[in-house]
Amino acid sequence: MSQVAAKAERRLQGGVLDAYTATRRFLIRGKRQPDVVLGSLLTPIIFVVLFGYVFGSSIVVPGGNYRSYLMPGLFAMSVLFSAANNAVAVAADMSEGVVDRFRTLPIARSAIVIGRSLSSLLLGIPVLVVMIVCGMAVGWRADDGLGNAVLAFLLFELFGFAIGWLGILVGLLAGSAQAADVIMNIPIFLLGFISSVFVDPSKMPVWLRVIANWNPMSALVTAGRQLFGNTIGPPPSGVWSLEHPIATTFGLALLIIIIVAPICVRLYSHGTR
Amino acid sequence: MQESTCLTCPSGVRSERKGDAGARGAVRDRRHRVISPARQRTLAGVSAPAISAHNLARSFGSTRALVDVSFEVAEGTVCALLGRNGAGKTTTVRILTTLLPADAGRAQVAGFDVAEQAPEVRTRIGVTGQTATMDELLTGAENLETIGRFCHLGAATSRRRARELLGQFDLTDAARQLVKHYSGGMRRRLDLAASLIHNPEVLFLDEPTTGLDPISRAEMWTSIRTLVSGGTTVLLTTQYLDEADRLADTIVVVDRGLVVAEGTPEQLKASIGRPFVRVTLPEADAPTLERVGRLLGAGAEVSGRSVSAPAPGGLASLDEVVIQLRKLGVPIHEVGLEHPSLDEVFSTVTDHSGHGHGPVTVEEAEG
Repeated sequence: MSQVAAKAERRLQGGVLDAYTATRRFLIRGKRQPDVVLGSLLTPIIFVVLFGYVFGSSIVVPGGNYRSYLMPGLFAMSVLFSAANNAVAVAADMSEGVVDRFRTLPIARSAIVIGRSLSSLLLGIPVLVVMIVCGMAVGWRADDGLGNAVLAFLLFELFGFAIGWLGILVGLLAGSAQAADVIMNIPIFLLGFISSVFVDPSKMPVWLRVIANWNPMSALVTAGRQLFGNTIGPPPSGVWSLEHPIATTFGLALLIIIIVAPICVRLYSHGTR
Repeated sequence: MQESTCLTCPSGVRSERKGDAGARGAVRDRRHRVISPARQRTLAGVSAPAISAHNLARSFGSTRALVDVSFEVAEGTVCALLGRNGAGKTTTVRILTTLLPADAGRAQVAGFDVAEQAPEVRTRIGVTGQTATMDELLTGAENLETIGRFCHLGAATSRRRARELLGQFDLTDAARQLVKHYSGGMRRRLDLAASLIHNPEVLFLDEPTTGLDPISRAEMWTSIRTLVSGGTTVLLTTQYLDEADRLADTIVVVDRGLVVAEGTPEQLKASIGRPFVRVTLPEADAPTLERVGRLLGAGAEVSGRSVSAPAPGGLASLDEVVIQLRKLGVPIHEVGLEHPSLDEVFSTVTDHSGHGHGPVTVEEAEG
């Protein structure tokens, strides 16, 4: 009994250690790709300027202040971008010989993908800070208190963690980094733009409005706006996910992690070739 | 000096028996690894194969990469898997290193089954693949440290081992450079160093010198020889006969997924034949060729304007042939004694033209 427990404990320790080593490796790699870091820092700033001022001047939203409406949307978008980075990084890893080396080492099978997932969470923190500063600079405020604001960011991070696993899945299945990059553009555009991230869906044609309302990105961004106190008026009736955006986002994130993470671990350790 | 030549056991403690280990039913070394059954047998003075493959088969779609491959490698020896591109060398290595499941057959490495005890196998093997497996965005030192940490050596030991290995493979100056700035030869050496960080019992080298320039190749050979003198079992694959001849104790020739010959380099050469004498005429004149053939006796073969026949007596046979030829009084362009080379062994046993030789085994040729 105690032997079994000791063995399990050693395995767990080994697994945690391996995940730490893998995370560390991805962080070093991140540091060596300043163009990627710069890109992910600049993209949100460009979006603030582009949507906040260029398009925003002619966009009317409930509540009146477009830039306040926009900022939670941009936090949500950064979640998609970081998932795309995951896909590219994992696909690059898989197409290099390094994956074969890792598979012949006595590493916990889950370590590399968990490492990627955790490192992307850590690499996302400076991006988030830049975005918060940007948002404050253009007049966005978290009006509902610091506690709720922290809750909102935790929710964004959790959802980002979940979507990040989907990115890893795409990276494992795509044949190359370029393919992963192209594939990830599709969900970024579809999920990002057919939603309440940038505009109020109530003016969309009916069929598109239904899609936009039920889009999980709309639930995420609505949850953010609620917790930040950036009110947008009552949700469209009959859309459960927007009537309960926090529960929806939370539940969906857990569901994605529970389903997708084991698939990724399996795909990684057995190989797709 | 002697210590520095032993790349695989710098601490020299790998096989120490731990006092209380018996109580837990397993023999452990100082790093708490269970000492493998193969190694235990060796410690007890019984030599067991470090690698044994039995009837391995593997297909990719309709392509049969491995049809039936069986061989054994004794501990502390170097075995070369020799074959052309696509012969099944890499597939064999991928199965033995737990990267690929076999469709049929069984294999053991260091006494553990590669399919059922993969984690045990992985702690005991080092693998240098055909493609570079180092992270381009990390420095040489960071790469080795990362692998050391993955082998649970701890941060400090990983750093120390990385430094030692970089020194041993002449990469100290490049330790802080990103691998993407390394030359081909430096990458291979770093790859080899990475395979050694956890002192593996069995080392797999998949075409370690393919694509290297002659100088880098010679450097790799030196590194591999040094390793072997440290007692590591090595399985290397190669398409180069001279590489197999120089490095290997035993050679297994694979072709189209089958083992077509195996033995020591000397046995393989002997299996193909003894020296033969070749008589070349100024021109391909059939009657004269026939007369010379009769003179050379049974086993004479005409090809172009020359006739060759076995010369079991070596130089004495050549002498005899020259005297006889002079008596015959036909014009001769050239007479010479030739020895079979490993090249000929290779082309004979992997002859795809369909005529002549079937699989050649050492026993068959010697008996």
